[in-house]
Amino acid sequence: MATTAASLLTVELYGRLADPLGREVALAIPPDGLTAATLIAALATAHPALAPDLTSRRIRAGVNDVLVAPDTRIRPGDRVALFPPVSGG
Amino acid sequence: MSAAVTVEHAVGAIDPAALLAAFAASASGAGAIASFTGLARPTAQDGAALTALILESHATLTLASMQAIAQDAANRFALTHLLVTHRHGPIAPGEAIVFVAAAAAHRRAAFDAVDYAMDRLKTEAIFWKREDSKTGSQWIEPTNADHAAAAAWEKL
Repeated sequence: MATTAASLLTVELYGRLADPLGREVALAIPPDGLTAATLIAALATAHPALAPDLTSRRIRAGVNDVLVAPDTRIRPGDRVALFPPVSGG
Repeated sequence: MSAAVTVEHAVGAIDPAALLAAFAASASGAGAIASFTGLARPTAQDGAALTALILESHATLTLASMQAIAQDAANRFALTHLLVTHRHGPIAPGEAIVFVAAAAAHRRAAFDAVDYAMDRLKTEAIFWKREDSKTGSQWIEPTNADHAAAAAWEKL
């Protein structure tokens, strides 16, 4: 049924996260979404090449150009970016 | 007093001497100007000769993170003017990565504002830094010393 079908979300990856699979990867998410923390865990499962960096570091999520907390809900259609630890200067 | 805060996310090379001259001209009447220039070192962390330092950034959140840091510095110290300029993209050894300048009535605020802004830029500005050398590529993350320096401001 269309109402329960998973949606395909494009996740944009930055820094070292983009090394294994490139800048963008796809992830199937439930129609009612999932939290940022759950999305990171689901991405590590769906794309094992990303798992070492996703699980060994503190990863932050940006949703629609805003940094969000781990319990923020991400829904189909959101623009999602994942950030490994940052370093300027 | 509200300081004039300028934040720039530069694509191409930056010229610290020219930036300082323009900043000093804009800050006429200040009693003190302090500045800091961060440069790409000639060697990677493993000692190999650096071919390039790559600074990756985000289309909107990088500038927002720099603006937040600069505004905090302006709110915290008695400044008249503050400039934060940060490059992104490939940077050759010896080229400037970041330039920060602060103007104030008295020197302590200017020194401290530059120091504070740099400590926070190192750990919070949304950039990802990669060293490319003949031995390979290595992503660089803040050290424990960088985190300690940024955290120390919270205890003051």
